[in-house]
Amino acid sequence: MIELLNVNKTFNGNVKAVDNLNLVIPNGEIFGFLGPNGAGKTTTIKIITGILNADSGSVRVNGIDIKEEPLAVKRSIGFVPDTPNMFLRLKGIEYLNFMADMYDVSTADRKERLQYLAERFGMADVLHDKIQSYSHGMRQKIVIMGVLIHNPSVWIMDEPMTGLDPRSSFILKEMMREHADQGNTVFFSTHVLDVAEKVCDRVAIIDKGRILFNGTIEEMKEHFNRNESLEKMFLELTDSEK
Amino acid sequence: MKNKTLNLAMILLKNGSGLGFKGSSTATKVMMIVLFAIAIPSMMGGVGAFTMFLMEPLMVIGQQGLVLTWGIGITSAAIFVFGIFYIISTFYFSSDVEYLLPLPLKPRQIVGAKFLVVTVFEYIFAAMIFIPIWITYGIRISMGPLYYLYGLVLLILMPIVPLALASLLSMIIMRFTNLNRYKDAFKIIGGLFAMFLGLGINMMMQSMSMNLSPEKLSELLQQGQNSLIGALPSIFPTAGWAGQALVHSGSLKGLMYFAVCIGFSAAVFAGLLALGQLIYLKGVVGLSETGSRRRGHGLEEIDKGVEKGSVITTYTLVELKLLFRTPIYFLNCVIINFLWPVFLLFPFLVRNEEVDMLAEISKAINQSDAGGIILAVFFALALFVSGSNGIAASAISREGQELYVKKYLPVSYKDQLIAKLLSALTLSYVAIVTMVIVGIVLFKIPVTTGVLVLLTGWLPVLFMCLSGLLIDLYNPKLDWDNEQKAVKQNINVLYSIIIGMGLAAASIIPVVAFKWSITVTLPILCGAFLALDLMLYNVLKTVGVRRFGNIDG
Repeated sequence: MIELLNVNKTFNGNVKAVDNLNLVIPNGEIFGFLGPNGAGKTTTIKIITGILNADSGSVRVNGIDIKEEPLAVKRSIGFVPDTPNMFLRLKGIEYLNFMADMYDVSTADRKERLQYLAERFGMADVLHDKIQSYSHGMRQKIVIMGVLIHNPSVWIMDEPMTGLDPRSSFILKEMMREHADQGNTVFFSTHVLDVAEKVCDRVAIIDKGRILFNGTIEEMKEHFNRNESLEKMFLELTDSEK
Repeated sequence: MKNKTLNLAMILLKNGSGLGFKGSSTATKVMMIVLFAIAIPSMMGGVGAFTMFLMEPLMVIGQQGLVLTWGIGITSAAIFVFGIFYIISTFYFSSDVEYLLPLPLKPRQIVGAKFLVVTVFEYIFAAMIFIPIWITYGIRISMGPLYYLYGLVLLILMPIVPLALASLLSMIIMRFTNLNRYKDAFKIIGGLFAMFLGLGINMMMQSMSMNLSPEKLSELLQQGQNSLIGALPSIFPTAGWAGQALVHSGSLKGLMYFAVCIGFSAAVFAGLLALGQLIYLKGVVGLSETGSRRRGHGLEEIDKGVEKGSVITTYTLVELKLLFRTPIYFLNCVIINFLWPVFLLFPFLVRNEEVDMLAEISKAINQSDAGGIILAVFFALALFVSGSNGIAASAISREGQELYVKKYLPVSYKDQLIAKLLSALTLSYVAIVTMVIVGIVLFKIPVTTGVLVLLTGWLPVLFMCLSGLLIDLYNPKLDWDNEQKAVKQNINVLYSIIIGMGLAAASIIPVVAFKWSITVTLPILCGAFLALDLMLYNVLKTVGVRRFGNIDG
């Protein structure tokens, strides 16, 4: 479970990236975080994962405040950032081993997870190559494998489908569903509204750092009083803000 | 339409992030400006004073113009050696290359623009050495206005010839090393080759200039009137011509040499563009690709070697792997630790009369009371080398835009900083080991002293690693587009070198002045550095950790 309470973040003293944000993402749900470019999605995610400090407000993950116990919170999260270009000069397997050590995963557990993830993402043949030699999609997959190797209860993913081929994208969506169904939390940002519409139990739309809508797709349709696609509603919501 | 080469050069310059003041706090900026305001004038003043000192005896024999030729020659040689790194990283390893290649630009336009960018960076360096020599000479000899005008133009032209030579070497090497899937390894070998070739050419020219026959030399000396300027061979003919142009700036002869300088530099630049047009693309296309073996290990084999390790050990090993595997880091931060003894010994090894000096030095070393000085010298070398490898002083900067990754890992900032410290400490210690081996083998220092240095040498190294890391925490340069900017165009490394040199002097001076024996030197130096290390370690784990947490990833 993720709880954000009155979270604020300002850059350079005047640009308000996150404006009094309140969100509760319960267990057992896939939660989609939508918004136009520069709306504050990545900033919010960075605050939840401990990359950025909020100016005010509190963030709790599984009931633990990130300011009070940052390491405990980080240990419970698996975070996929929006760019997968990291540790390019390590081999895939070295990166996974590094992440497993950072998250304190036992040898037996990491071997088992490694087998499972490599099989699921079809990466077994390339794990002994340097990440630099991977395509964008493969880099995305190795990063996802790296954050799932410690089997975190909370998944936070920033644009996780970018660059994935249809098969891997399908597998990831399937894994997200399974994870949420086991009573865990999946929180992801996306630009692809179709994905959000098909996968998410609930969505929030953010623009200029403020939440414009938070609820299920059905609730959103009720809110707009008509049976339209998420795309149209999204455009209408974010347009009316301009 | 504006010239595309110039246009591109302007954009590339604007896009570069300079010395890394961006994002620093006002206090840090002010501190840096003050430091610059003190450091640069005092360095230039030093060069000026040295010029005066050299000029007096030269004036007696009517050869004072040599200071200008030497000044330009030394500046050119230094630009050439450092230029090789700048050129390779700017021409080939900069991330903008991937964006420039698809644009409808001719290879010579890219080469021309990038060349101009490197030239502009070299002006800072060239100006610091040349301006004081030029001005001092001008004032002392009371030169006319043309002298100053020529000097200004010559300063602008100065980096062109040495950088063109560096570009020529780099382009040829990269043309032939851009061969196969082991590109990183080839880049490293290519870089090393270029470095040694550059050093070798310099040494060769130096020894050639020493080989001027005594008869010829005395004949030239008797002629006076700066006759030696033209006679000393140099790898850069422009140094001699520029010297002539300045010395004879009042006459037609001066104008002629001035014109020759301009013409030659223009011709060299044009030649470089032509060569760039021919071979640049072959060296750069596909450079960012990395091959893979795709051996198909299959699921059974993938977890081979997968074992749990401690957080700090794994983190340290990954830092070391990245330093070894990233060509720019390897060349600038790693290999330098193994090469310092070679650099220091090079002059002794190539010239005959100085090999005897080697023997003299080892004789002096083996006097019974020299132990204190040997230890102090090793401490000084350790301070200088571990400061100049820049590993600790760029430990945060090297993270660049990926620093945020370290922020979401569930590892305390203290542990992360300790791992960074350990990786810097390990590699810098290697430099001590190589120096001790060289000391024992070539200078015949007593083995016991060598062992003593190995046991205590980590103290000054640790100090440099701690101070470097703290400097980088306060002013990290994270906004870079090629790795060279993180380690070489990073002011933090310069601060670290300055601190290292200052402390090196502080370690040697009292030992020499008071003729301390080893029994006095050992406890004093070790005690002082142990105290400093403990103090800085405490700063790191409190203030440093807080600072790491506050850097926005």
